[in-house]
Amino acid sequence: MTPGKTSFAGIVERAAPALVIVAVLVIWEMFVRLRGIAPIYLPPPSTIAVYLFRMLADGTIEFNLGVTLLRIFAGFAVAAFAGVTLGVLMGMSRIVARIADPWIAALYPLPKIALIPLLVIWLGTGEVYKIVISAITAFFPIVISTYAGIRQTDQGLVKAAQDLGANRRQIQMKIVIPAAIPSIFAGLHLGMGVTVILVVAAEMIGSSSQSGMGFLLIQSGQVMETEKVFASLIVLAVVGALIIKLQEWIDRKVAPWTAYRDEH
Amino acid sequence: MDVIVEDVTQVWPGRGGASVVALDRFSHRFASRRFSCLLGPSGCGKSTLVQIVGGLETASSGSVRISDPALPGVTRPVGVDSVMVWQNLNLFPWRSVLDNVAFGLEMQGLTKAERHERAKSLIASVGLSGFEGHLPGQLSGGMRQRVALARALILERPIMLMDEPFGALDAQTKIVMQEELLRVFDETHKTILFVTHAIEEAILLGDEVIVMTARPGRIKEVLPVGLPRPRSLEMVNSKAFGALFDRAFHLIREEVMTSMAQQAMALEAK
Repeated sequence: MTPGKTSFAGIVERAAPALVIVAVLVIWEMFVRLRGIAPIYLPPPSTIAVYLFRMLADGTIEFNLGVTLLRIFAGFAVAAFAGVTLGVLMGMSRIVARIADPWIAALYPLPKIALIPLLVIWLGTGEVYKIVISAITAFFPIVISTYAGIRQTDQGLVKAAQDLGANRRQIQMKIVIPAAIPSIFAGLHLGMGVTVILVVAAEMIGSSSQSGMGFLLIQSGQVMETEKVFASLIVLAVVGALIIKLQEWIDRKVAPWTAYRDEH
Repeated sequence: MDVIVEDVTQVWPGRGGASVVALDRFSHRFASRRFSCLLGPSGCGKSTLVQIVGGLETASSGSVRISDPALPGVTRPVGVDSVMVWQNLNLFPWRSVLDNVAFGLEMQGLTKAERHERAKSLIASVGLSGFEGHLPGQLSGGMRQRVALARALILERPIMLMDEPFGALDAQTKIVMQEELLRVFDETHKTILFVTHAIEEAILLGDEVIVMTARPGRIKEVLPVGLPRPRSLEMVNSKAFGALFDRAFHLIREEVMTSMAQQAMALEAK
């Protein structure tokens, strides 16, 4: 579509990101080999690739990633359901908002990792602990965004609906909630981000289950298998990017109008 | 339907306890099946007035009575017989053209089949067939305007309140939409209250032009427009049109100056 697409400058622009990645890998490889750096400190990319394929071949990655993803989706599902429900209720009822507000104000700024000792005492170090810590963390951005979205409904749309004969209940169901969807999705994106962080962190700290990408990372680190640490990090980065892409795809499917929402 | 506005005053609470009088004892009888244009500088309360007539704002004092000329003495509640067409359209961005137009019928509880059938015929009548499944954000300004018009017309309410509906359109699209509205008026003969700050538009469309003063909004003069119907854009070149334009321009000029001075003062006060 751009006129420069087939021109030399256009080709350079499109190829540049991939070229830079290749260049970084080549420099890294040469730097490590020429300077004779020990692989415990910095393994060369080629070795990391070998380890990555080995870990994929013997199922280490598949198993641990699968377990981590299950925990992420479980924690996220709990947080999404609770957060969206409470956010909508707060937006619709002033009493609910007034009661919930001081709790959210007090608990939101608290670093949720600080709750780990308490949760371990209460819940032990099993699955429930990891799901609860990630759900608690993801809950706050979701509830706050949902509430904000409901409150910031364009009053022009509300008046227009009222003029066209909508009653209060119809305005809430047909106008206020759909109008809040972009905000709700923004909250869900933030919530998903922190769920990933918290699940991996919980797998690293005080988990008895000996599984998951966080466990794989910490275990490889403790025995100085730096190649496995890098391989695990690459897997986490790729999976994180895929989760974001998946969310964006769902957004477009569920609410295609958000692409045009600035010009209604 | 007649719309009888009596002594309507609207006062907004202003900064630091001072209050702003948006409308000051506005009285007028908008006669049934007549096209009335409210012309005035920005901030003169003309938008507020149509919202009060539509039951979407409550006046600080005064009254609005809606009554059928065939049943004098019976006053109907505000809002029931009127429908708004908004300056910024207020289309529901997540609803397709079809579901935007059908919204009013959906609220009345009509079945999907019934409301879609009627919405489709209205969409066709405003020339948007084939765009039923589009979202408002995918349409041009003129097409969105037609959706807003169809969404209002589907309810078949006898009073249509229009708040600068064509203000945001480009000049050519505006002309087409004005012709469209004239056609609708000739076919339906609704009672129309049309807010504008464009003198030409007010004269071309209206049976009367109510020139308003700068804030606080009062009636400065009511100009009857004697131009024959059906109206067409060529009338803009007629002698009668020119005379009306001069008169309206003379009246509005002073008010615009006053309004600009008010705005400058408000800015300085900040």
